[in-house]
Formats: sequence, structure tokens, C-alpha cells
Amino acid sequence: MPAQVRLFFISLLQVILLTAVMVGLVFMSIPPDPNHYFAGSLIQLELLKNTPSPRIILIGGSNVSFGLDAELMQRKLSIPVINDGLHAGLGIVPLRELEEYLRPGDVVIISLEYQVFSSRDVMEGDLTFLSDWIEYAPGRIKYLSDPWRDIPAIYLTMLQRKVNRQVNTVLYGGSLNEVRDVFVGTRYNSNGDFIGHLKQASTPPRKISFEPYPVSSVQPDIFTFLEQFHQFARQKGAAVYFEAPASRRINCENTGEASLTNFFKTFEDRSAIPVLTQLEDLCLPDKYFFDTAYHLNAEGRRLRTERLIEKWLQLTASQ
Amino acid sequence: MLFNSAAFLIFFPVVTTAYFLLPHRFRWVLLLAASCYFYMAFIPKYILILVVTITVDYFAGLGLETFEGRKKRWVLIASILTNVGMLAFFKYFNFANENLAALADFIGWNYPIQTLSILLPIGLSFHTFQSLSYTIEVYRGHQKAERHFGYLALYVMYYPQLVAGPIERPQNILHQLHEEHHFEYSRVTDGLKWMAWGMFKKVVIADRMVQFVSPVYGDPTSYNGPALVLATLAFAVQIYCDFSGYSDIALGAAQVMGVKLMKNFDHPYFARSISEFWRRWHISLSTWFRDYVYIPLGGNRVSQPRWAFNIFLTFLISGLWHGANWTFILWGALHGFYFILFALTESFWQKLSSITRFDQLPRLKSGLALLTTFSLVTFAWIFFRAESLGDALYIARHLPSGWRSYLAQSWDILMQGINGAADAGLYSIVDALFRTLTPVTDESRVVIVLTALALLILVVIEILQHRGNLLEQLDQKPVILRRVVYASLLAAILILGTSYASVQQAFIYFQF
Repeated sequence: MPAQVRLFFISLLQVILLTAVMVGLVFMSIPPDPNHYFAGSLIQLELLKNTPSPRIILIGGSNVSFGLDAELMQRKLSIPVINDGLHAGLGIVPLRELEEYLRPGDVVIISLEYQVFSSRDVMEGDLTFLSDWIEYAPGRIKYLSDPWRDIPAIYLTMLQRKVNRQVNTVLYGGSLNEVRDVFVGTRYNSNGDFIGHLKQASTPPRKISFEPYPVSSVQPDIFTFLEQFHQFARQKGAAVYFEAPASRRINCENTGEASLTNFFKTFEDRSAIPVLTQLEDLCLPDKYFFDTAYHLNAEGRRLRTERLIEKWLQLTASQ
Repeated sequence: MLFNSAAFLIFFPVVTTAYFLLPHRFRWVLLLAASCYFYMAFIPKYILILVVTITVDYFAGLGLETFEGRKKRWVLIASILTNVGMLAFFKYFNFANENLAALADFIGWNYPIQTLSILLPIGLSFHTFQSLSYTIEVYRGHQKAERHFGYLALYVMYYPQLVAGPIERPQNILHQLHEEHHFEYSRVTDGLKWMAWGMFKKVVIADRMVQFVSPVYGDPTSYNGPALVLATLAFAVQIYCDFSGYSDIALGAAQVMGVKLMKNFDHPYFARSISEFWRRWHISLSTWFRDYVYIPLGGNRVSQPRWAFNIFLTFLISGLWHGANWTFILWGALHGFYFILFALTESFWQKLSSITRFDQLPRLKSGLALLTTFSLVTFAWIFFRAESLGDALYIARHLPSGWRSYLAQSWDILMQGINGAADAGLYSIVDALFRTLTPVTDESRVVIVLTALALLILVVIEILQHRGNLLEQLDQKPVILRRVVYASLLAAILILGTSYASVQQAFIYFQF
């Protein structure tokens, strides 16, 4: 190898190693934030690993973590119930994690937000949210649809979000007040329910969107996935049900009854997973919501949970 | 393929390594194939446009050397018509058609021609102009016709500058493509340093600025003066870092392979007049228009009114070159107006500064000239960035609005901060000041701080570069210090670059 080329590679290697050391030090020196909303996913993961079967597992986005009461269900049904809901931005990736911990006798109630049905990208999760989620349990990277492709983006995003968080802490002493007061990773109960919003004032901390739910163009890949999940669960001796996310009446009206009816018809046509939601109960008045088009308050959460228990008991009795 | 994509991170070292491993006689094949792959990563079928252009210009070049007189002129016209025809069809057909339809509607005529569903080929204006400069230079006798089809294709398609320039002249680049370039440590490493600096400007600064620009320019009527000014200033930084960042990467990538492309930017925001700005901004395009439009129109060897017309027309065409929209035409017209006004009033300003003894304060005079030029250029960017003429006029008209309430609000915040009401000191004051301009979230207030840091790095390096050759100065420092500087630059790109999870922001000039 000519001397100039050798010198070049040595210099390049030195710069790359030095860069890796700098970046690595920054990365390692900023631990995951115990107050981040996603920190609760560790409690949920422990529950999935250690709770004995048979058990009921509620899974989906924040409509589940905010809007279903696993503790109440456990009390009423006398079987362990785990709330494994976290964020719609994770798409179906937490369901892949759940596959690993499914056991005979388990009952899975899936409640995915409507946008997860609307595009393949949303279904596979947003890399920013996924990087936050993976930061708490690095092994989760294997649940991505193409881990090797996404590793650089996930870890670079994680690095940047760590730095942003650290800058925020150093300069401002932490997150903005409204976020700090509600979406806190330590506010999960022993069933995995998020309870940070339950005692909050009715004034929502965030601007609420009254956009229609994206139900008019449902992409087929989501049904392929759900059916595969359903088959996998059945082979493992587990049962799967679908529960529609908590839906705000004003968003329902903006979406249109016909579109919503059509969504459920499509679901039933394309999937063998039994649906627990009754269309007439689907949309709830504004007074039951905390913020966003999906997050219920304490009263709404109780109502939805009781209806779910009732419907599930009816369905299992008829089976 | 985008320079700021993971694909390019693989493409570049693979192509460069293969380039140095291959015998010289095969290198053109490699570079041409790589350039085709690079271009086809966008929309594959549009490579056919390049095939047609290159084929026509190849035979035109040969014809221009064979024929004389009227025949030679016809060959040139055929080449120009083909190139400009492609540009006109893909870039301007719908714009012209929509305007004719609007005119027909206004005068009550029936206008049957439909708008076509055409996607603008990436970098069309750039490679068309580069190809045109080949036939024009052969016609003028400044360049021999290229007899090797592959090399001519490579001249038009050389991947570092294919989609956003610099728009090269055949005299500068064709012979370099023919020459054999050996691996040379200092040249290769300097090229890589330019690429890293260009990447820093793009992903750390330009892409960060998008967050301040896009929400406001996407919905300008929801904002008033202070926010509009902030967004416009942010766009001035964004477009400079985006485009000069691209040019640095292009120059660096070509330099690694031994090809020296022309300098495209020379610290344009340090210009003290509009004419100086255009000698420093997008140099390859402004010299193209100078050589092939302005001078053939008569340049400055004509009467003053005719000269003013020549300048104005050149800027109008330059505006239209950027995009088929009235906003770009107005942007060009505004620069033409500035240029003429500066030139016509130059002696007046000189006399005024002499009478007022202002010229005895050269630094202040120079600073004021710099600030005036920057303000005028930034004002013109409104028309370049706005999504419609209506938006541009709204922004221009509302720049002075809302300042009284903003200043009053800011004053209150400042006083509260000074009196200890603000709980976290200086940052919370800054935070609160920004909160009055734009909705502040956790992410965006960190973005503000990190953007300020990145801008500081940019300004310091720009000043150092402006004063002398920074790379040469750095080369005189100890090895370990140099390694730390370059590693820090790479680390800054990784740490401060805009989120890698989001879709990469394409370079702004790709659309042209």
C-alpha cells in the first residue's frame, strides 16, 4: 500500500475513533430519564414477564394507558390484568414485544388508534417515539420491522434526544411545567395503568384537535399483521379481542357516522378477531375526556372499563 | 440521492475507492455509471432527458467544428432550442399555460389546453445550463468539441455537481476529467474536510432553521411583524447554509477525486453592495448569466437606459430560472432594481459620505453598507420563499406590524426577570421572549439554544475563512489538535444534526 494511502487510512481511523469516543461518552453519560412518560413501559414490561397466566393484557396506544383501568378490571374479574398501552406513535411494535411473553390462557385486548390503520408508516411506528421506547430496554430494537436498516437512525435520534433533554435540564431545570405535571413516567400503578392525569384539573394542558379520525382509507397491511398476531396467539393458547379506542363525540361527528360504521365493517370483513365495541357506545361526550381525541379522564376511564368488562363477559359467556 | 442520506454514506466511499483502484482508462466508465445511479435514485426515467440532451449536444459540438457561417449558427440554434425546449416543457409549460388560461378567462375566451401532470426533473436547470455552456463555448472557439461521447456525458452528469451545480464551463472541467489523478493525501483530506463542513452547514444549521421558517411561511396570515422578521432572517441563514453547504460537499467530493470545481460562494453576506453580493453568491450561475445573457445583450457598452434594461432583463431571467412562479420573477426583478439603484446612486453616496466626512470612519461605513446589503437581500428572500405572490405581499406589508405590543410584552418579561419574578434566570427570560414569537415546546426551546450555538460556530468560522485560508492555518497546528477539531466537527454533525429519524430535508436548490 503506498505511503500516502496508509497515512490517509491511519488519519481517518484516528478521527473516526476520536469521534466515536466523543459521541460514546456523551451517549453513556446521559441515562434514560426516569420521569419520561415512556419510563412506565419498564413497569409494563416487568408485568408481562412476571405476572402469572391466565391474565388479561390490554394493549394499544395512550388511549389504553390513559383510558382503561386494569386495576378495576382485576378487582371485578379476579384475574391479573396488565395495562400495556403506551403511545400510538409506537404503532404495532409493542404487539411484537407482547408475542414474546404470551402464554396459554392469556387474553389480549387490542385497542389501536385509528391512525395506525391509516398508513404503513404509522403502523410500523415513528422512529422518534421508537427511539425513546428502545432507550429503556435496548433489546426492543429486534421488534422493528427492519432493525438493521433502522439501527443508525434510532441510535442517532436517541443520542440527540438525550442531548436535548440534558440541555433542557441544565438550562431550565427540566421539562415545561405542563408536561412535568402530567406526563410523568413514575405515575403508573402496579397494573401498568397511567394515573398521572386522574387528579388533574379539567383544563387540558394541550391544544385539542377536533380533526376527523382517519378511518376512511384503511391500509391492508394492518389486517395482515393482526391476523398473523391472532394466529400466533391462538397457537400459544391465548385469545385476542379488539376494542375501539375511546372516541370523542365531536371528532366522531367530524368523521361521520357512515365512515365509522364502514371502518368496523371493514375490520370485521378482514379480520377474525372478535370486536368488543358496540357502535352505539363508541363515541363519548367531551366531559369524559382529559385531553386529545383519545385520552379519557377518571370518569370516562371508569365508564369505558365497566362497559368493556360487561361486553367481554357477555362475549366469553356466549362462546 | 441526497448528500445527507445514509445511501450516500455508502455510495461515496465505494465509488471513490473503486475510482482509485481502477486503471485510468476505465475511470470514466465508473464515474458515468455512478453518476447515472446517483441521478436515477430520484426518478429513473428522467435519465432519458439527459440522454437526449447529451446526444444532441455531442453531435452539435462536432457540427460546430465542422461547419462555418450560417450552418454553424444553425447548429448552435438547434442545440439551444433542444436544451431550452426541454427546460421550457418540463419547467415552464404549466406556468405559462395557467397564466394564459387566467388571461383567457379574464377576457372571456374559451381556453382548452389542460395543465399537464409533469414532475420537474431534479436539477434540470443546472444540467441544462451546463450542457448549453458546452455548445456555446465550442461555437465561440473557446473549447474543442469533445470526441469521446462518454467524457461529454460525464461532463454533463458528473455526480457531485449534477443536480445543484456549480454550473461548470467545459474549459474548466473537461480536461480535468480526462487527466489521470493519483491519490494525494492533502488533496483527499482537504476534500473530506470541505464535505464535513458542508454537511455541518446543511444538517446542523439549515435544517434547524426550517423549524423557524416553515410554520410561518406555511401560514403567514397567522403571524405579525416580529415573527415574520424572525422567519425571514432564519430563511436567509437557511438558504445560505443549505446551498453553500451543498456546494461545499460537491467541491469536496470532486476534489477527493482530483477534480477542482469552481467556487460557488464567497461569504456573500459580507458583501457591501448588491453587485458585490452577486460576485459572492451562486457565482457559477451569476457568471453564466453574465457571459451568456448580459454580455451578448450589450453589457455595459451601451447607453445607460439600455444598460439598465440589460441588467433588469438578466435578473428577470435569473428569477425565472429559479422557478416557474411569479414570486421568483419578482425576486429577480427586485434584485435588478437594487442593482440599478445602487449603480445609479453610487456617486451620490460617495459625495454624501465625503461631505459628511463619513468616509473618515471606514469601519462604520463598511458596517453600514454590509447591514444595508444584507437587509435588502433578506427582504428579497421573502419573495423567493413565499408560497404565493399573495403570501409574499402579505409578509412584506406586515413586517412593521405588531412591534409595539411585542416590545411592550418583552419589556414586561425583561423587568419581571430582572426583578426576580422569573424562576430560572436568563434562560427563562430568553425562553419567555421567544414564547411571544412562536409556540415554545420542550423541543423548540432546546432548539433555540442549540441553534444559537450552531450559528455562533458558523459565524466564527465564516469570519476566520474570510480573513484567510482556515485549512492552511489549521494545518500548521499540532496533529492531535487537528484530529480533535475534525472529530469535534463530525461529533457536532451527529449530535446537533436535525433528527435523523425524520425524512431528510432535500437541498432547496434541488427543485430548480
